[in-house]
Amino acid sequence: MRFTAVLLLVVTLCLASPGRANAIPADAPPTGMVCTPGAVSGATHTFDLVAETGYIDTPDGNSVFMWSYGEAGGHFQSPGPVLCVTQGQTVVVNLTNNLPEPASIVFPGQDAPVTASGGAAGLLTTEAAASGGTVQYSFVAGSPGTYLYESGSDIAKQIEMGLYGALIVRPAAGPALAYGTSTAFDPSREYLLLLSEIDSDLHHAVETGTAYDVNARRDRYFAVNGREFPDTIQDNGSGLLPNQPYGALVRIQPTTPTTAPALIRMINVGALNHPFHPHGNHTTQIAQDGRLLPVPTEHFGETIASGQTVDFLLRWDDQDNWDPTTKPLPVPPPNYRDVFFKDANTWYGGSPYLGHKGILPSGVVTQNICGEWYFPWHSHALNEFTNYDQGFGGMATLLRVDPPGGCFAAPATATPLGSVLKSGTVAGLAADDTTYYAVNPRTTTRPTATTTAQTSITVASATGFPAAPGYYARIDNEVVRVTAGAGTTTWTVQRGQLGTTAATHASGAVVTALATDFTAGFTGVPAGSQHLKVTYKGANCATTTAATCTALTTNLPQQTVKICDWTVGGAAGCSTATSAGWVTLPAPPAQPQGVGSTDVGATWTLPASAQYISAGQVKVLVHTERYTSPSPAAFSTWGNLLALTYDAP
Amino acid sequence: MRGHPWKGALVLVLVAAGLGAGSSSASAAPVAVSLCAVPGTATMAGGASVPIWGFAATCANPGLPGPVLTATVGDTVTVTVTNALPAGHDVTFEVPGIDFAAGPDSAPPGGTVTRTFTASAPGTYLYQSGGDAGRQVAMGLYGALIVRPATAGQAYPSADSAYDVEAPLVLSAIDPAFNAAPETFDLHSYRATYWLINGKSYPDTAPGITAAGGQRLLLRYLNAGYDNTTMSLLGMHARVVARDARPVDGDAEVAAETIPAGATEDVIATVPAGAGPSSHGFPLYNRQQHVTNGDQTGVSPAPASGGGMLIFIHH
Repeated sequence: MRFTAVLLLVVTLCLASPGRANAIPADAPPTGMVCTPGAVSGATHTFDLVAETGYIDTPDGNSVFMWSYGEAGGHFQSPGPVLCVTQGQTVVVNLTNNLPEPASIVFPGQDAPVTASGGAAGLLTTEAAASGGTVQYSFVAGSPGTYLYESGSDIAKQIEMGLYGALIVRPAAGPALAYGTSTAFDPSREYLLLLSEIDSDLHHAVETGTAYDVNARRDRYFAVNGREFPDTIQDNGSGLLPNQPYGALVRIQPTTPTTAPALIRMINVGALNHPFHPHGNHTTQIAQDGRLLPVPTEHFGETIASGQTVDFLLRWDDQDNWDPTTKPLPVPPPNYRDVFFKDANTWYGGSPYLGHKGILPSGVVTQNICGEWYFPWHSHALNEFTNYDQGFGGMATLLRVDPPGGCFAAPATATPLGSVLKSGTVAGLAADDTTYYAVNPRTTTRPTATTTAQTSITVASATGFPAAPGYYARIDNEVVRVTAGAGTTTWTVQRGQLGTTAATHASGAVVTALATDFTAGFTGVPAGSQHLKVTYKGANCATTTAATCTALTTNLPQQTVKICDWTVGGAAGCSTATSAGWVTLPAPPAQPQGVGSTDVGATWTLPASAQYISAGQVKVLVHTERYTSPSPAAFSTWGNLLALTYDAP
Repeated sequence: MRGHPWKGALVLVLVAAGLGAGSSSASAAPVAVSLCAVPGTATMAGGASVPIWGFAATCANPGLPGPVLTATVGDTVTVTVTNALPAGHDVTFEVPGIDFAAGPDSAPPGGTVTRTFTASAPGTYLYQSGGDAGRQVAMGLYGALIVRPATAGQAYPSADSAYDVEAPLVLSAIDPAFNAAPETFDLHSYRATYWLINGKSYPDTAPGITAAGGQRLLLRYLNAGYDNTTMSLLGMHARVVARDARPVDGDAEVAAETIPAGATEDVIATVPAGAGPSSHGFPLYNRQQHVTNGDQTGVSPAPASGGGMLIFIHH
């Protein structure tokens, strides 16, 4: 009965809030531009919009009455939905006007005729009548690019009140091009920054039906994507801002030879021309008003004029490659006693080096996750860098530069698991250098002499040997296969395996495992991190004693790197080298890999992330075995680098 | 030319300069222009009469803006300006981008000043009086000077500046309170309420600019106002040909373009054959939403019939 009651409750909630779905799709990424799907039928792309009233929140605690376009039957949102269409599609926009005066939409930059049906002729375009009137606009999407749509009615009031949105026309060639082939970008790094302003006195007058002098306009709020800083850096669809679904945080990683640049689409729907200043790197302007520039131009400040759209490609080049160990800064950072941390709350990681965190003074809270860098992007008309004259806020967001490949973690712990520590500490795994973390196979001894025909033997200890049968061990130069008794000190064995010959062994002979396993654990990985990548680089050497690696070039040990899936048995699921929770990292590269005395490095990318993170922990196992013919010899496993990279949320 | 709003101005020029529009002059010709800076009035949309100081061919009935002056590249142009302003105001004649021959640069009240220059580079230039630290410009002492290249039908020597129809668009603004007391008004309180194209705000900018589908329309923007002005053009892009009377490289196409205060810009749009978004045609308007005609205080402030810096391009 309880189950039924829950179902009823859910149904009731749905009925009580018809169409109160989120304004953006549930699977929208936390950052980047979010398109509103609309409905595609053949070559026609239809959007049903409504002009309606609602409220937005500002960071100073104010609530401002707005007019905006939203999806018909959907949630109120400001700014209007991002309409993404493809060049050549017939775009149909059905507008229902729930405002108390005639409203309309114009599509600046669309040079094909915009035909209207229904409605009544207005000054700039055909309008939908007040309080429920409708009009349908239709046009063929023209050249690819960034455009806006906005009210064409009583524009001094209606645009200021919020009747605007973005129109994105993608080229038929595909979503990874902004325009032609010269404008390839990374589709996972496509950002929209839509600039607007609010004179809250005008909004209050419209809300209360009182008179307002449009020539006396004085803007108090300056927004990016309908939010004022610091709200701009909240995720898309943040529950804190239910009516302002679009975040404006820009994320990028240092340029590599294979990375395409990010695309920054800027639109100024406001009345003022805004000088926008991106810190951190020049941006390359490629287009204005949906048309490629004859020559791309680089900027660290560019005025986005009222009604304009401007597109930029952004790369972030780490030209200096400062590193705390290999290339320290030539000047020491200032002493903390000389540094003021505003509000004891900083985005600074405590270290000036990208990807490295340092120690901050006690009492200082850092928002920094893994040594990433933050740069403000803001209107350089500094009165607009405020929320109702209080700085800073307003027309600003942050550029977040993540370390190469994402956040970078070195292991916090390393533990021999079915092996014996030969040399080194976990620090040997932190960098690709000459410091190693090395393990030898587990050994034990035969307390008594062994005959050539004996198939039941005892060992001094089973610790570190597999708990399940089927593994190999070596006594002197003979390999035996343990078929029963694994996990105990009495083993049933098959003799003379892997090309060796059954032989007699003296009392006290050394029994060596033919495999090594060690595990390393990462900590502090935030829940919700994505795109986990594991990098391991190491070698296997033909010695278990020497301080330097001796050559091992034939009959290579076979290496398999695994990650702990915490959903299989929890922590216990990865407690031993053969626990069920270990998951072989997926190809490429395929595993196992033959690894000799030359370091072999590889990076594996995981298709999913959540099951590999538990309370900030990620655990990796390096298993190496030498079960193959011909006769195996002693080897040790030398770990050089073990690293985890991830996109922190 | 039916209803062409600059017809009158162009006629004045033809009288003053003695040249036919689009005439080709391969050799230097002397061109003499007489202007007078004189008080007058301008009728704003809605009927209000506002005092102005403007340029006129004779010392009566000044226009807002002043007459469009034209010359052809190579011409030696002599401009004689008579100062008929009230006592206490010296008048100058300045054209950013033009080098004048040496000589007096200012006319005292009741006097004249003569400036001479060789029209060396084609383009769109803004002429103005520099007197009284900007107050004379704010009162209306400005106008367009067009220097044509040797080739008729082009704005510049390059063939890609060829056009079929041209429209100089002098952008400016008026605060009637300032115009009523230009000598004493506190400019910190300046707040324009009329936003003008060639001295008119909508609907007085009607009937607008006539161009057939497929014709190349040359818009010569001159910003005589104090505000960096962004103009939106609905239904077509325009190709930027020149800024400040100098051709630009490449073909930047724009739909919303900022003309800085004091700057000029030439763009060419190919007028679409299809209908514009409005029953009036293709709107060209101040995107900073300066669409008022005088004080606009009310529940729905902008004039319902439209106002301010708005003009239509139509077939």
